[in-house]
Amino acid sequence: MTILTVEGLCKRYPSFYLRDVSFTLETGYIMGFIGSNGAGKTTTLKSMINLVHKDSGVVRILGKDFTQNEIELKQDLGIMFGGVDYYRKHKIYQISRVVRRFFKNWDDDIYQTYLRRFSIDENKRVEELSNGMRVKYSLALAMSHQAKLFLLDEPTSGLDPIARDDILDLFQELIEDGSRSILFSTHITSDLEKCADYITYIENGQIIESRSKDDVLSAYRIVKGKQDQLPSISSKLIGYKKNAFGFTGLTKNSDLQGSGSLLIEPASLEDIMIYTRRKNDEESIV
Amino acid sequence: MKNLLYKEFHLSIHPAYFLMPAFGVLLLIPHWPYFIALMYFFFISVPNIFNNNKAQNDIGFSATLPIRRADIVTARVTSITILELLQILVASIFVFIKMTLFQTENFLLDANIAFIGFTFMMFGIFNVIYLPMFYKTADKIGWPIIVSFSATFLFSAVIEAIILMVPAAKILDGKAHLSAQLLVLGIGILAFFLLSYEANRLSIKRFKKINI
Repeated sequence: MTILTVEGLCKRYPSFYLRDVSFTLETGYIMGFIGSNGAGKTTTLKSMINLVHKDSGVVRILGKDFTQNEIELKQDLGIMFGGVDYYRKHKIYQISRVVRRFFKNWDDDIYQTYLRRFSIDENKRVEELSNGMRVKYSLALAMSHQAKLFLLDEPTSGLDPIARDDILDLFQELIEDGSRSILFSTHITSDLEKCADYITYIENGQIIESRSKDDVLSAYRIVKGKQDQLPSISSKLIGYKKNAFGFTGLTKNSDLQGSGSLLIEPASLEDIMIYTRRKNDEESIV
Repeated sequence: MKNLLYKEFHLSIHPAYFLMPAFGVLLLIPHWPYFIALMYFFFISVPNIFNNNKAQNDIGFSATLPIRRADIVTARVTSITILELLQILVASIFVFIKMTLFQTENFLLDANIAFIGFTFMMFGIFNVIYLPMFYKTADKIGWPIIVSFSATFLFSAVIEAIILMVPAAKILDGKAHLSAQLLVLGIGILAFFLLSYEANRLSIKRFKKINI
């Protein structure tokens, strides 16, 4: 079942244009939303839930139009923009006792279970929690009101590798029973290699890829060769870098026929981001 | 709305602001421009409440809750209105103490029934200017405070000048002409609620347009 559909989302700012963003997410999966800083990840997430007014486009959550059913659908959303970055001087229990009043499916037992599991002391102030703990508290709130779709903006940025790994394991656990889905934005590609089922890649306000991680990875290849081999293949390269020994570039797997003696290697998500970004930068200079 | 008001008074607005009406005690000062006693709300409570909410990322928090944008505004307008009514209520107690115990007349407008009516009007004027100006950005409070405070200061200065210079307006001074003063009180209460309603309507309209 499709839990999230985004169709033709557009938002124009004087210096940035989010163009025709479309993707879907099935129930029971994790989608990583990647892109470099300023690519449009946060704008997309905010436009999806009307924090930013979209110029056009439709967002459907659980089969219902979000704009028409905003209040009802927000009951099923776990929203997090940059961890618990609010009411930092307040104690956890003070925030929770307010939050619980707004959600009809709030379950105090689930809340207490997660607090115990994450070792979160309700008498601590938000500012006393580490970044990782704040993300966990935010997830505990969303789990307690039984959110079905988690929209998380950069939940892992600023976390140390151990805390990040911990959060990614938790993501896996959340979707295990097949009733929830997670869309999380990040620019840390190793996060996605660990836990994402689907990848949506945005660059310069446009979606470059949105399909399963395996499909994305198998669609691209890294090509290495000598300087004199570059002219014959440069038209097929998405982006490339020259070095003292030759060049390294990214190409679509389907464009590789007749590549002869070039060295072909699998591409990582990071490679895909870096070389696609190079192409965009070159285009913007031209 | 009940939940949002709970949030306002348990998270957003510190209980210390409930002590602000104590400034009403300044009404016991002899020979003074009494409007100033209520203006402390504009100097202290409003800038601090709104700045504090900005620092605490209240809008970021509210964005995660299943509520309408309009309700965020109405909850804030309602909570500010409640604080204002409390301010006027406590001031009214001091007005009655003053009217009962002190016999000397003030050089400017006395602290009397008409004065309470005028303070209702003053708070209404503040609301209808400050709140829609603030919700145009939901971020910047400098100009909204300067403009709305200037307007309330001008209003109080005009009232004081009229009482001082227009002989017919003298019936609003002192304690003698109760019916005229009750009329001003009635008009003041009506103006306060109408202007606050309008403040809410305009603020919602503007807040709906902005990107959070």
